[in-house]
Amino acid sequence: MPKSELVENLDLDNYKYGFVDPESHVYRTKPGLDESIVREISRQKEEPDWMLKFRLKALRVYESKPMPTWGGDLSDLEATLKEIYFYVKPQEQTERSWEDVPDNIKNTFEKLGIPEAEQKALAGVGAQYESEMVYHSLKEEWASKGVIFDSIEDGLKNHPEIFKEHFGTIIPIADNKFSALNAAVWSGGSFVYVPKGVHLETPLQAYFRVNQERMGQFERTLIIVDEGARAHYIEGCTAPVYSTDSFHSGVIEIVVKKNARFRYTTIQNWSNNMYNLVTQRAVVQENATMEWLDGNLGSKLTMKYPSCYLMGRGAHGSIMSIAYAGSGQHQDTGGKVVHAAKNTTSSIISKSISKEDGRSSYRGLCKVLAGATGSRSNVECDALLINETSRTDTYPYIEVDEKCATVGHEATVSKVGDEQLFYLKNRGLSQEEAMALVVRGFLEPIAKELPLEYAVELNRLIELEMEGSVG
Amino acid sequence: MGPGRIMADYSNYNSWLNESRSRAWSIYQSTPTPTTKSEEWRYTDLSKLFPLENFALKANPETSTETSTKKPARESLTDPINTAGRVQFTGGLVTNIQLTPAMESQGVGLDSLQNTTHEKHQEIIQANLCSHILPAESGKFQALNAALWTDGIIIYVPKNVRIEMPIRGKHHLVDKNQAVCTRTLIIAEEGSHISYVEEFRSDDFNNKRFVSSAVEIIAQKNATVDFVSVQNLGRGIFFQAAQKSLVHRDASVNTLNVTLGASLSRLDLNTQLLEPGANSKMLGLYFGDENQHFDHNTSQDHLAPHTGSDLLYKGALDGSARAAFRGIIRVGTEAQQTDAYQTNRTLLLSDKARADSLPNLEIEADDVRCSHGSTVGQLDPEAVFYLLSRGFSRQQAERLVVLGFLGDVLARLPRGAFKRVVKNVTDAVEQKLQHG
Repeated sequence: MPKSELVENLDLDNYKYGFVDPESHVYRTKPGLDESIVREISRQKEEPDWMLKFRLKALRVYESKPMPTWGGDLSDLEATLKEIYFYVKPQEQTERSWEDVPDNIKNTFEKLGIPEAEQKALAGVGAQYESEMVYHSLKEEWASKGVIFDSIEDGLKNHPEIFKEHFGTIIPIADNKFSALNAAVWSGGSFVYVPKGVHLETPLQAYFRVNQERMGQFERTLIIVDEGARAHYIEGCTAPVYSTDSFHSGVIEIVVKKNARFRYTTIQNWSNNMYNLVTQRAVVQENATMEWLDGNLGSKLTMKYPSCYLMGRGAHGSIMSIAYAGSGQHQDTGGKVVHAAKNTTSSIISKSISKEDGRSSYRGLCKVLAGATGSRSNVECDALLINETSRTDTYPYIEVDEKCATVGHEATVSKVGDEQLFYLKNRGLSQEEAMALVVRGFLEPIAKELPLEYAVELNRLIELEMEGSVG
Repeated sequence: MGPGRIMADYSNYNSWLNESRSRAWSIYQSTPTPTTKSEEWRYTDLSKLFPLENFALKANPETSTETSTKKPARESLTDPINTAGRVQFTGGLVTNIQLTPAMESQGVGLDSLQNTTHEKHQEIIQANLCSHILPAESGKFQALNAALWTDGIIIYVPKNVRIEMPIRGKHHLVDKNQAVCTRTLIIAEEGSHISYVEEFRSDDFNNKRFVSSAVEIIAQKNATVDFVSVQNLGRGIFFQAAQKSLVHRDASVNTLNVTLGASLSRLDLNTQLLEPGANSKMLGLYFGDENQHFDHNTSQDHLAPHTGSDLLYKGALDGSARAAFRGIIRVGTEAQQTDAYQTNRTLLLSDKARADSLPNLEIEADDVRCSHGSTVGQLDPEAVFYLLSRGFSRQQAERLVVLGFLGDVLARLPRGAFKRVVKNVTDAVEQKLQHG
């Protein structure tokens, strides 16, 4: 299959060091944030009045909430937020077909390894370039099934009823400071609706990147999977390396209705100067299943805890995550499950690797509410330390208010074993190859769940990162 | 060292003490009362459970010491079965001290902190108490105890003196509406071994009372200190304890904290493994019923290579009891080749019981073996079924499973010396189970 060959040609070395296209955009706000900017964003997007009110309310909540004092070091963020552009609009209108996409954007996708040929295999490519959906396509057969895969702006325009019913209900404005910020200035993201009983065989994919220095990206995604439907959504992001700090704060809201099944896969490889503070949450109804597959490789600081609120009887939530913290990076990630109904089950598997002075922290919550009888939850965290200066932390919160529930948490911390390396070197591998092999083996249980191109990319990245890691 | 020993002039000592107390009191006053916004108090809302402002903490450091100028009675311990010494506390004052003649002759010190009878003990107290081990800065309640402590004991074990049988301390409360703050200072010199078992008991009180205990332990090179605390106080009491251990090269400090009584119980336990070979086993057992609220906050600090720690806290909760556990293993950059473990398991026996667990790891070295585990769950139905099929009633079967679950902790105590502790604790748990 040509797909994997093309991925092989990704040229990860260049990819690692980033690339920058000359800036081109139609409109952007002044740096910093105040009410006039929020009003301007809403006006530019020609939004209904209720959305403007929603944004303004969110702005007030954002301003009133203090900076979090837990998690990663946010001491420089206040200054950063004064300098970034909260809204950049690259083009006047959303493109309709691949041919219409401008060449420089196509170039960017080329470098990202999303060749034109590949899109045929993909359900629809919603490519987010800067803050706006610039390209969108959806297979006709799915359109005929009633599947909606739109930019979030079009979702609001074209499907106002279902949009308003769910928007901001899963992650309320006041959930946390950054979800409030996102609610005030959101721009770009996806709107997905999968109707009752529809099974999507191939995943929906959205790639996006940030390409403007000091530009914040506040994507907002709303996904509704109706009763008995099945779907898989893949989101990956890369960003070029810049010298000043950048900021990304997304909000992902998902509803998985009765008997439905949904998986959300995301790999982030932001450049190492990026603050990545994301709120992702799914409400899971009766006998439905939600799976988060979460890879955090890049950014300066990531704080991201995908969560499942198991609201209906028999609901299941699963969170699988990989975190890689290289030099200067802090991955503060984990997962959150709330058992709010009987016989709900959940599982969290987290694997992290810390290299050089990198720090990876698992932070998770498992909460069983009173009345959620027969609930079961299991959490496993494994941390691998590569160098003497590497750091790992585990902060699980376990709150059980129900007698008939079983909750377990286990974590281990280890380094790559000398015996393992010795064995592999005996078999003719170099130290670095042996190291990469052991690390890949450590990640295997989660990597095998990834779509092929991501798994290949992940393995290439690990090899690259293990170069010179021999201590 | 009999009761009739004439005291030297200790005015210097007392002025040092007054200064230490005033300092601690000003720290207490300037430290805000912990709220649930702080991670360490996340699950214990003092403003609801025990509003300090409603409580008479008449804290005048100068006058609070006046009541305790009477020297405790000292006797030779004549029936030393399984016991090396005895200390009796009444209403926060040391009222009776007994030592076996063998202990006396080996130079083991067992003395009141407020009314020392031995000059050497005073020097040790002045050098260590409320300062470098558990200073007033450690927290609001640590400061309060450092300011208001009425009495306490020092246990001093000279070099290479190894005492197999434990010293036993008994705390009785008298019914006076007054805070009781006591301290324990244990200094084990090189190569020594000592065990101390303390027990807190009282009736139930209708009015709210505050009982505080501060424990400071130093184990020098190759020394072993075994420390057991059994808290079985009556309802109406807020019991607050802080324990801190400094463990030096190849030394061990092993602790067991049993929490059965009081309405609200809070333990802060910190062990510092300072030099290679230092080791600590930390055991905990709790059983809560009615509306009891237990909060255990533990930390294992590995500050040198080749150190080990192993923590196991197990408990069961009946009625609408609540237990919180927050434990942290910190492995510093220097502490390579560390083995550190931490386990917290809680059984919920009733629909209204609630358990919160936060087992944390912060690892900054790479060549370590660390793990932690935490479970919250119900009685193992298979184990209960097995016993039912052997003819036990459901009640008997469930009690046996609970006892087996908790007995796991007691089974880890060294045999012999702690036989009596195991029996007392088992009896107390059984008694609570019968009421449930």
